[in-house]
Amino acid sequence: MKKSYVLCLNFLILLIIAGNSHADGTPFIHVSIQAPTGALKMGDRPVFKGVVKNSGQRNLQGLVVYLSLVSLRPGHEHPVDLEDWSAQKAVRIDQLVPGETNRQDWPMRLIQAGRFGVALTIVDPLENRSIVSDLVSFKIQPKPTVASGRILPVAIGEPLLLLIFFGLFHWIHTRSRRLMKDVQIQELLHERKL
Amino acid sequence: MRHFKTLIKKECIEEISSSRGAALYLAGCGVLSVFSLLLVSNTELSLLDNAQAVYMMSAIIIALALLIAVIRGSDGFAGERERETLELLLITPVSPAEVAIAKLMGLIFSWFVVFVLSIPYLWAVGSTGQNLIPALEYLFISGTLLVVIFGGFSLALSARMKTFKGALSIGLTAFLLSGSPILLGPSLRQSTVGRFIDLINPFANALNMLDSVVVDSLGVLFQIIPLAILIFYTIAAIWVLSMTTRRVEL
Repeated sequence: MKKSYVLCLNFLILLIIAGNSHADGTPFIHVSIQAPTGALKMGDRPVFKGVVKNSGQRNLQGLVVYLSLVSLRPGHEHPVDLEDWSAQKAVRIDQLVPGETNRQDWPMRLIQAGRFGVALTIVDPLENRSIVSDLVSFKIQPKPTVASGRILPVAIGEPLLLLIFFGLFHWIHTRSRRLMKDVQIQELLHERKL
Repeated sequence: MRHFKTLIKKECIEEISSSRGAALYLAGCGVLSVFSLLLVSNTELSLLDNAQAVYMMSAIIIALALLIAVIRGSDGFAGERERETLELLLITPVSPAEVAIAKLMGLIFSWFVVFVLSIPYLWAVGSTGQNLIPALEYLFISGTLLVVIFGGFSLALSARMKTFKGALSIGLTAFLLSGSPILLGPSLRQSTVGRFIDLINPFANALNMLDSVVVDSLGVLFQIIPLAILIFYTIAAIWVLSMTTRRVEL
Protein backbone atom coordinates (compact mmCIF):
# COMPACT_ATOMS: atom_id res chain seq x y z
CA MET A 1 0.00 0.00 0.00
CA LYS A 2 2.79 2.28 1.04
CA LYS A 3 4.76 1.35 -2.07
CA SER A 4 1.84 2.02 -4.42
CA TYR A 5 1.23 5.33 -2.64
CA VAL A 6 4.84 6.39 -3.25
CA LEU A 7 4.62 5.30 -6.89
CA CYS A 8 1.41 7.28 -7.39
CA LEU A 9 3.00 10.30 -5.78
CA ASN A 10 6.06 9.98 -8.04
CA PHE A 11 3.83 9.63 -11.10
CA LEU A 12 1.88 12.71 -10.04
CA ILE A 13 5.09 14.70 -9.56
CA LEU A 14 6.34 13.52 -12.97
CA LEU A 15 3.05 14.55 -14.55
CA ILE A 16 3.26 17.99 -12.96
CA ILE A 17 6.90 18.41 -14.07
CA ALA A 18 6.12 17.15 -17.57
CA GLY A 19 3.07 19.38 -17.75
CA ASN A 20 5.04 22.40 -16.64
CA SER A 21 7.91 21.75 -19.02
CA HIS A 22 5.45 21.27 -21.88
CA ALA A 23 3.80 24.58 -21.04
CA ASP A 24 7.20 26.31 -20.94
CA GLY A 25 8.69 24.50 -23.91
CA THR A 26 5.74 24.72 -26.28
CA PRO A 27 6.53 27.57 -28.66
CA PHE A 28 3.62 29.90 -29.22
CA ILE A 29 5.23 30.90 -32.50
CA HIS A 30 5.72 28.36 -35.23
CA VAL A 31 8.38 29.10 -37.79
CA SER A 32 9.47 27.13 -40.80
CA ILE A 33 11.42 27.62 -43.98
CA GLN A 34 11.11 25.70 -47.20
CA ALA A 35 13.84 25.23 -49.80
CA PRO A 36 12.89 25.39 -53.48
CA THR A 37 12.42 22.10 -55.24
CA GLY A 38 14.74 20.92 -58.01
CA ALA A 39 18.49 20.97 -58.44
CA LEU A 40 20.33 24.13 -57.45
CA LYS A 41 23.56 25.34 -58.96
CA MET A 42 25.88 28.29 -58.44
CA GLY A 43 24.56 31.56 -59.79
CA ASP A 44 20.90 30.49 -59.38
CA ARG A 45 18.50 32.82 -57.60
CA PRO A 46 16.07 30.56 -55.77
CA VAL A 47 13.44 31.91 -53.38
CA PHE A 48 13.11 30.25 -49.99
CA LYS A 49 9.65 30.46 -48.43
CA GLY A 50 9.35 31.35 -44.77
CA VAL A 51 6.20 30.92 -42.65
CA VAL A 52 5.63 32.37 -39.19
CA LYS A 53 2.46 31.48 -37.31
CA ASN A 54 1.20 32.83 -34.01
CA SER A 55 -0.20 29.76 -32.26
CA GLY A 56 -0.52 31.42 -28.88
CA GLN A 57 -3.21 33.60 -27.31
CA ARG A 58 -1.11 36.74 -27.12
CA ASN A 59 -0.89 39.51 -29.69
CA LEU A 60 2.72 39.59 -30.91
CA GLN A 61 4.37 42.85 -31.87
CA GLY A 62 7.71 43.85 -33.35
CA LEU A 63 8.90 40.35 -34.24
CA VAL A 64 12.26 40.20 -35.95
CA VAL A 65 12.81 37.33 -38.36
CA TYR A 66 16.28 36.72 -39.70
CA LEU A 67 17.90 34.24 -41.99
CA SER A 68 20.91 32.12 -41.07
CA LEU A 69 23.02 30.14 -43.46
CA VAL A 70 25.62 27.54 -42.54
CA SER A 71 28.03 25.61 -44.66
CA LEU A 72 27.67 21.89 -43.92
CA ARG A 73 30.73 20.74 -45.83
CA PRO A 74 32.18 17.89 -43.75
CA GLY A 75 35.13 19.11 -41.75
CA HIS A 76 34.57 22.74 -42.80
CA GLU A 77 31.25 23.58 -41.12
CA HIS A 78 30.94 27.30 -40.54
CA PRO A 79 28.35 30.10 -40.57
CA VAL A 80 28.19 31.93 -43.87
CA ASP A 81 28.18 35.73 -44.10
CA LEU A 82 25.06 36.61 -46.08
CA GLU A 83 26.66 39.83 -47.43
CA ASP A 84 26.67 38.65 -51.05
CA TRP A 85 24.09 35.88 -50.80
CA SER A 86 21.06 37.88 -49.94
CA ALA A 87 20.04 41.53 -50.09
CA GLN A 88 17.30 40.76 -47.54
CA LYS A 89 18.75 39.37 -44.36
CA ALA A 90 15.98 40.20 -41.89
CA VAL A 91 12.35 41.33 -41.79
CA ARG A 92 10.28 42.90 -39.05
CA ILE A 93 6.71 41.80 -38.49
CA ASP A 94 4.83 44.70 -36.95
CA GLN A 95 1.98 42.66 -35.56
CA LEU A 96 0.85 39.05 -35.54
CA VAL A 97 -2.54 38.42 -33.98
CA PRO A 98 -3.37 34.96 -32.53
CA GLY A 99 -3.86 32.42 -35.29
CA GLU A 100 -2.42 34.70 -37.97
CA THR A 101 0.23 33.47 -40.40
CA ASN A 102 2.88 35.64 -42.00
CA ARG A 103 4.66 34.43 -45.14
CA GLN A 104 7.91 35.83 -46.43
CA ASP A 105 10.03 35.33 -49.53
CA TRP A 106 13.76 34.99 -48.96
CA PRO A 107 15.47 35.40 -52.34
CA MET A 108 19.07 34.22 -52.39
CA ARG A 109 21.86 34.22 -54.90
CA LEU A 110 23.92 31.07 -54.70
CA ILE A 111 27.55 32.06 -54.54
CA GLN A 112 29.37 28.88 -53.53
CA ALA A 113 29.00 25.21 -54.21
CA GLY A 114 28.53 22.63 -51.47
CA ARG A 115 26.01 21.51 -48.88
CA PHE A 116 24.36 24.27 -46.89
CA GLY A 117 21.71 24.61 -44.24
CA VAL A 118 19.28 27.46 -43.84
CA ALA A 119 17.13 28.39 -40.86
CA LEU A 120 14.91 31.21 -39.72
CA THR A 121 15.21 32.71 -36.25
CA ILE A 122 12.50 34.77 -34.57
CA VAL A 123 13.15 37.26 -31.85
CA ASP A 124 10.16 38.38 -29.82
CA PRO A 125 11.11 41.53 -27.87
CA LEU A 126 9.02 40.35 -24.89
CA GLU A 127 10.66 36.94 -24.65
CA ASN A 128 14.12 36.10 -23.40
CA ARG A 129 14.75 33.34 -25.92
CA SER A 130 14.61 33.17 -29.66
CA ILE A 131 12.77 30.55 -31.69
CA VAL A 132 14.59 28.79 -34.48
CA SER A 133 13.04 26.82 -37.30
CA ASP A 134 14.23 23.39 -38.40
CA LEU A 135 17.43 23.49 -40.41
CA VAL A 136 16.66 22.92 -44.07
CA SER A 137 19.62 21.55 -45.95
CA PHE A 138 20.21 21.89 -49.66
CA LYS A 139 23.01 21.21 -52.11
CA ILE A 140 24.50 23.64 -54.61
CA GLN A 141 26.17 22.17 -57.66
CA PRO A 142 29.46 23.82 -58.70
CA LYS A 143 29.70 25.91 -61.83
CA PRO A 144 33.08 27.33 -62.86
CA THR A 145 31.99 30.82 -63.78
CA VAL A 146 35.26 32.50 -64.62
CA ALA A 147 36.12 31.31 -68.12
CA SER A 148 39.85 30.71 -68.44
CA GLY A 149 39.55 30.65 -72.24
CA ARG A 150 38.96 34.39 -72.31
CA ILE A 151 41.16 35.44 -69.41
CA LEU A 152 44.45 33.90 -70.54
CA PRO A 153 44.67 35.76 -73.91
CA VAL A 154 43.80 39.06 -72.23
CA ALA A 155 46.07 38.58 -69.20
CA ILE A 156 49.08 37.70 -71.34
CA GLY A 157 48.25 39.57 -74.55
CA GLU A 158 47.40 43.02 -73.23
CA PRO A 159 50.66 43.75 -71.35
CA LEU A 160 52.59 42.47 -74.38
CA LEU A 161 50.63 44.69 -76.76
CA LEU A 162 51.10 47.66 -74.44
CA LEU A 163 54.83 46.97 -74.25
CA ILE A 164 55.04 46.85 -78.06
CA PHE A 165 52.96 50.06 -78.33
CA PHE A 166 55.11 52.01 -75.88
CA GLY A 167 58.28 50.60 -77.41
CA LEU A 168 57.23 51.69 -80.90
CA PHE A 169 56.04 55.06 -79.59
CA HIS A 170 59.37 55.78 -77.92
CA TRP A 171 61.33 54.52 -80.92
CA ILE A 172 59.38 56.79 -83.31
CA HIS A 173 59.60 59.68 -80.84
CA THR A 174 63.39 59.44 -80.37
CA ARG A 175 63.91 58.83 -84.11
CA SER A 176 61.92 61.91 -85.10
CA ARG A 177 63.82 63.99 -82.52
CA ARG A 178 67.13 62.71 -83.91
CA LEU A 179 65.98 63.53 -87.44
CA MET A 180 64.93 67.01 -86.33
CA LYS A 181 68.37 67.54 -84.78
CA ASP A 182 70.06 66.36 -87.99
CA VAL A 183 67.95 68.78 -90.03
CA GLN A 184 68.81 71.63 -87.63
CA ILE A 185 72.54 70.80 -87.83
CA GLN A 186 72.39 70.68 -91.62
CA GLU A 187 70.58 74.01 -91.69
CA LEU A 188 73.24 75.54 -89.42
CA LEU A 189 76.02 74.15 -91.59
CA HIS A 190 74.25 75.47 -94.66
CA GLU A 191 73.91 78.93 -93.08
CA ARG A 192 77.62 78.95 -92.17
CA LYS A 193 78.58 77.98 -95.71
CA LEU A 194 76.53 80.88 -97.00
CA MET B 1 42.38 80.22 -73.83
CA ARG B 2 44.68 79.01 -76.62
CA HIS B 3 47.60 78.70 -74.19
CA PHE B 4 45.39 76.91 -71.71
CA LYS B 5 44.37 74.38 -74.38
CA THR B 6 48.01 73.92 -75.38
CA LEU B 7 48.88 73.27 -71.74
CA ILE B 8 46.12 70.65 -71.40
CA LYS B 9 47.34 68.98 -74.61
CA LYS B 10 50.91 68.95 -73.30
CA GLU B 11 49.84 67.42 -69.98
CA CYS B 12 47.80 64.71 -71.74
CA ILE B 13 50.57 63.81 -74.21
CA GLU B 14 53.10 63.72 -71.39
CA GLU B 15 50.94 61.11 -69.63
CA ILE B 16 51.63 58.68 -72.47
CA SER B 17 54.94 59.81 -73.90
CA SER B 18 56.91 59.95 -70.65
CA SER B 19 58.68 56.77 -69.64
CA ARG B 20 57.27 57.10 -66.12
CA GLY B 21 53.72 57.20 -67.50
CA ALA B 22 54.38 54.14 -69.65
CA ALA B 23 55.87 52.31 -66.65
CA LEU B 24 52.80 53.09 -64.53
CA TYR B 25 50.37 51.81 -67.18
CA LEU B 26 52.44 48.68 -67.73
CA ALA B 27 52.57 48.06 -63.97
CA GLY B 28 48.80 48.57 -63.79
CA CYS B 29 48.26 46.10 -66.62
CA GLY B 30 50.57 43.66 -64.85
CA VAL B 31 48.54 43.89 -61.63
CA LEU B 32 45.26 43.30 -63.52
CA SER B 33 46.82 40.35 -65.37
CA VAL B 34 48.07 38.76 -62.15
CA PHE B 35 44.67 39.17 -60.51
CA SER B 36 42.78 37.75 -63.48
CA LEU B 37 45.19 34.80 -63.63
CA LEU B 38 44.52 34.26 -59.92
CA LEU B 39 40.82 34.11 -60.74
CA VAL B 40 41.48 31.21 -63.08
CA SER B 41 44.10 29.32 -61.08
CA ASN B 42 42.67 29.66 -57.57
CA THR B 43 39.85 27.16 -56.94
CA GLU B 44 37.96 29.38 -54.51
CA LEU B 45 38.23 32.46 -56.72
CA SER B 46 37.34 30.55 -59.90
CA LEU B 47 34.03 29.56 -58.30
CA LEU B 48 33.15 33.18 -57.67
CA ASP B 49 30.08 34.51 -59.29
CA ASN B 50 30.83 36.66 -62.35
CA ALA B 51 29.35 39.73 -60.73
CA GLN B 52 31.53 39.25 -57.66
CA ALA B 53 34.62 38.87 -59.86
CA VAL B 54 33.68 42.04 -61.79
CA TYR B 55 33.20 43.92 -58.50
CA MET B 56 36.60 42.79 -57.17
CA MET B 57 38.27 43.68 -60.46
CA SER B 58 36.57 47.11 -60.44
CA ALA B 59 37.84 47.77 -56.90
CA ILE B 60 41.39 46.99 -58.01
CA ILE B 61 41.03 49.22 -61.10
CA ILE B 62 39.84 52.12 -58.93
CA ALA B 63 42.68 51.57 -56.45
CA LEU B 64 45.19 51.57 -59.33
CA ALA B 65 43.72 54.72 -60.86
CA LEU B 66 43.85 56.49 -57.49
CA LEU B 67 47.43 55.40 -56.90
CA ILE B 68 48.40 56.83 -60.30
CA ALA B 69 46.43 60.02 -59.55
CA VAL B 70 48.18 60.46 -56.19
CA ILE B 71 51.66 59.84 -57.66
CA ARG B 72 51.11 62.12 -60.68
CA GLY B 73 49.26 64.72 -58.60
CA SER B 74 52.06 64.89 -56.02
CA ASP B 75 54.50 65.42 -58.88
CA GLY B 76 52.31 68.20 -60.35
CA PHE B 77 53.85 71.28 -58.73
CA ALA B 78 56.44 69.84 -56.31
CA GLY B 79 58.07 67.85 -59.12
CA GLU B 80 58.22 70.91 -61.39
CA ARG B 81 59.70 72.86 -58.48
CA GLU B 82 62.39 70.21 -57.92
CA ARG B 83 63.22 70.02 -61.62
CA GLU B 84 63.36 73.86 -61.63
CA THR B 85 60.78 74.07 -64.42
CA LEU B 86 58.03 75.66 -62.31
CA GLU B 87 59.30 79.19 -62.94
CA LEU B 88 59.10 78.61 -66.70
CA LEU B 89 55.57 77.30 -66.31
CA LEU B 90 54.47 80.26 -64.21
CA ILE B 91 55.77 82.88 -66.64
CA THR B 92 53.56 81.48 -69.41
CA PRO B 93 50.44 83.57 -70.09
CA VAL B 94 48.24 81.26 -68.00
CA SER B 95 47.35 81.68 -64.33
CA PRO B 96 48.59 79.17 -61.72
CA ALA B 97 44.98 78.03 -61.23
CA GLU B 98 44.76 77.30 -64.98
CA VAL B 99 48.03 75.35 -64.75
CA ALA B 100 46.48 73.34 -61.90
CA ILE B 101 43.30 72.68 -63.91
CA ALA B 102 45.40 71.61 -66.92
CA LYS B 103 47.32 69.20 -64.67
CA LEU B 104 44.04 67.87 -63.29
CA MET B 105 42.86 67.32 -66.89
CA GLY B 106 46.05 65.33 -67.46
CA LEU B 107 45.17 63.14 -64.47
CA ILE B 108 41.63 62.62 -65.79
CA PHE B 109 43.08 61.67 -69.18
CA SER B 110 45.36 59.23 -67.38
CA TRP B 111 42.26 57.68 -65.72
CA PHE B 112 40.60 57.36 -69.14
CA VAL B 113 43.65 55.41 -70.36
CA VAL B 114 43.48 53.12 -67.30
CA PHE B 115 39.74 52.66 -67.86
CA VAL B 116 40.20 51.75 -71.54
CA LEU B 117 43.01 49.33 -70.61
CA SER B 118 40.80 47.69 -67.98
CA ILE B 119 37.79 47.04 -70.27
CA PRO B 120 39.22 43.80 -71.79
CA TYR B 121 39.90 42.44 -68.29
CA LEU B 122 36.38 43.22 -67.12
CA TRP B 123 34.97 41.67 -70.28
CA ALA B 124 37.10 38.53 -69.82
CA VAL B 125 36.02 38.15 -66.22
CA GLY B 126 32.36 39.02 -66.41
CA SER B 127 30.88 38.97 -69.89
CA THR B 128 28.93 35.76 -69.20
CA GLY B 129 27.44 37.14 -66.00
CA GLN B 130 25.04 39.91 -65.22
CA ASN B 131 25.57 43.66 -64.82
CA LEU B 132 28.73 44.11 -66.90
CA ILE B 133 27.43 47.23 -68.68
CA PRO B 134 26.18 48.90 -65.45
CA ALA B 135 29.52 47.95 -63.87
CA LEU B 136 31.38 49.77 -66.66
CA GLU B 137 29.09 52.82 -66.39
CA TYR B 138 29.38 53.13 -62.62
CA LEU B 139 33.10 52.37 -62.69
CA PHE B 140 33.58 55.20 -65.18
CA ILE B 141 31.48 57.68 -63.16
CA SER B 142 32.87 56.81 -59.72
CA GLY B 143 36.43 56.51 -61.04
CA THR B 144 36.29 59.93 -62.70
CA LEU B 145 34.94 61.58 -59.54
CA LEU B 146 37.50 59.82 -57.33
CA VAL B 147 40.40 60.76 -59.60
CA VAL B 148 39.28 64.42 -59.44
CA ILE B 149 39.03 64.16 -55.63
CA PHE B 150 42.37 62.43 -54.98
CA GLY B 151 44.18 64.11 -57.86
CA GLY B 152 42.82 67.52 -56.86
CA PHE B 153 43.89 67.18 -53.22
CA SER B 154 47.31 65.77 -54.25
CA LEU B 155 47.86 68.71 -56.61
CA ALA B 156 46.81 71.17 -53.90
CA LEU B 157 49.25 69.52 -51.51
CA SER B 158 51.94 69.54 -54.16
CA ALA B 159 51.45 73.30 -54.68
CA ARG B 160 52.15 73.90 -50.97
CA MET B 161 54.91 71.35 -50.35
CA LYS B 162 58.50 72.03 -51.26
CA THR B 163 59.43 68.49 -52.26
CA PHE B 164 57.82 65.74 -54.31
CA LYS B 165 58.70 63.15 -51.65
CA GLY B 166 56.89 65.14 -48.95
CA ALA B 167 53.75 65.56 -51.06
CA LEU B 168 53.85 61.91 -52.12
CA SER B 169 54.23 60.54 -48.59
CA ILE B 170 51.23 62.53 -47.33
CA GLY B 171 49.21 61.61 -50.44
CA LEU B 172 50.01 57.90 -50.09
CA THR B 173 49.14 57.93 -46.39
CA ALA B 174 45.76 59.50 -47.18
CA PHE B 175 45.27 56.94 -49.96
CA LEU B 176 46.03 54.03 -47.62
CA LEU B 177 43.70 55.40 -44.94
CA SER B 178 40.89 55.78 -47.43
CA GLY B 179 41.63 52.28 -48.73
CA SER B 180 40.25 50.89 -45.47
CA PRO B 181 37.24 49.30 -47.22
CA ILE B 182 39.66 46.99 -49.03
CA LEU B 183 41.81 46.37 -45.94
CA LEU B 184 38.94 45.88 -43.49
CA GLY B 185 36.51 43.02 -43.79
CA PRO B 186 32.73 43.57 -44.07
CA SER B 187 32.18 42.58 -40.41
CA LEU B 188 34.52 45.32 -39.12
CA ARG B 189 32.82 47.87 -41.35
CA GLN B 190 29.39 47.06 -39.94
CA SER B 191 30.16 48.59 -36.54
CA THR B 192 29.00 52.16 -35.83
CA VAL B 193 32.53 53.51 -36.28
CA GLY B 194 32.99 51.45 -39.44
CA ARG B 195 29.71 52.69 -40.91
CA PHE B 196 30.62 56.29 -40.08
CA ILE B 197 34.03 55.92 -41.72
CA ASP B 198 32.32 54.35 -44.75
CA LEU B 199 29.93 57.28 -44.95
CA ILE B 200 32.63 59.96 -44.95
CA ASN B 201 35.12 58.01 -47.03
CA PRO B 202 34.73 58.70 -50.76
CA PHE B 203 36.60 55.51 -51.70
CA ALA B 204 34.22 53.42 -49.55
CA ASN B 205 31.22 55.18 -51.06
CA ALA B 206 32.40 54.34 -54.56
CA LEU B 207 32.98 50.69 -53.62
CA ASN B 208 29.62 50.39 -51.86
CA MET B 209 27.96 51.89 -54.92
CA LEU B 210 29.68 49.36 -57.21
CA ASP B 211 28.77 46.55 -54.82
CA SER B 212 25.11 47.47 -54.80
CA VAL B 213 25.00 47.92 -58.60
CA VAL B 214 27.08 44.93 -59.68
CA VAL B 215 26.46 42.34 -56.96
CA ASP B 216 23.04 43.28 -55.58
CA SER B 217 21.63 44.64 -58.89
CA LEU B 218 20.09 47.62 -57.13
CA GLY B 219 18.79 50.54 -59.17
CA VAL B 220 19.89 54.14 -59.51
CA LEU B 221 17.70 55.30 -56.60
CA PHE B 222 19.95 53.42 -54.16
CA GLN B 223 23.01 55.21 -55.55
CA ILE B 224 21.84 58.78 -54.90
CA ILE B 225 23.46 59.16 -51.45
CA PRO B 226 26.94 57.78 -52.35
CA LEU B 227 26.86 59.76 -55.61
CA ALA B 228 25.92 62.95 -53.74
CA ILE B 229 28.80 62.38 -51.28
CA LEU B 230 31.24 61.82 -54.17
CA ILE B 231 30.02 64.97 -55.94
CA PHE B 232 30.37 66.95 -52.70
CA TYR B 233 34.00 65.81 -52.33
CA THR B 234 34.66 66.56 -56.02
CA ILE B 235 33.44 70.14 -55.63
CA ALA B 236 35.47 70.48 -52.40
CA ALA B 237 38.63 69.17 -54.13
CA ILE B 238 38.26 71.62 -57.05
CA TRP B 239 37.61 74.48 -54.62
CA VAL B 240 40.65 73.59 -52.46
CA LEU B 241 42.80 73.27 -55.59
CA SER B 242 41.72 76.68 -56.94
CA MET B 243 42.28 78.32 -53.53
CA THR B 244 45.74 76.82 -52.96
CA THR B 245 46.96 77.59 -56.46
CA ARG B 246 45.96 81.26 -56.45
CA ARG B 247 49.51 82.01 -55.43
CA VAL B 248 52.19 79.42 -56.05
CA GLU B 249 55.57 80.03 -54.49
CA LEU B 250 58.73 78.95 -56.26
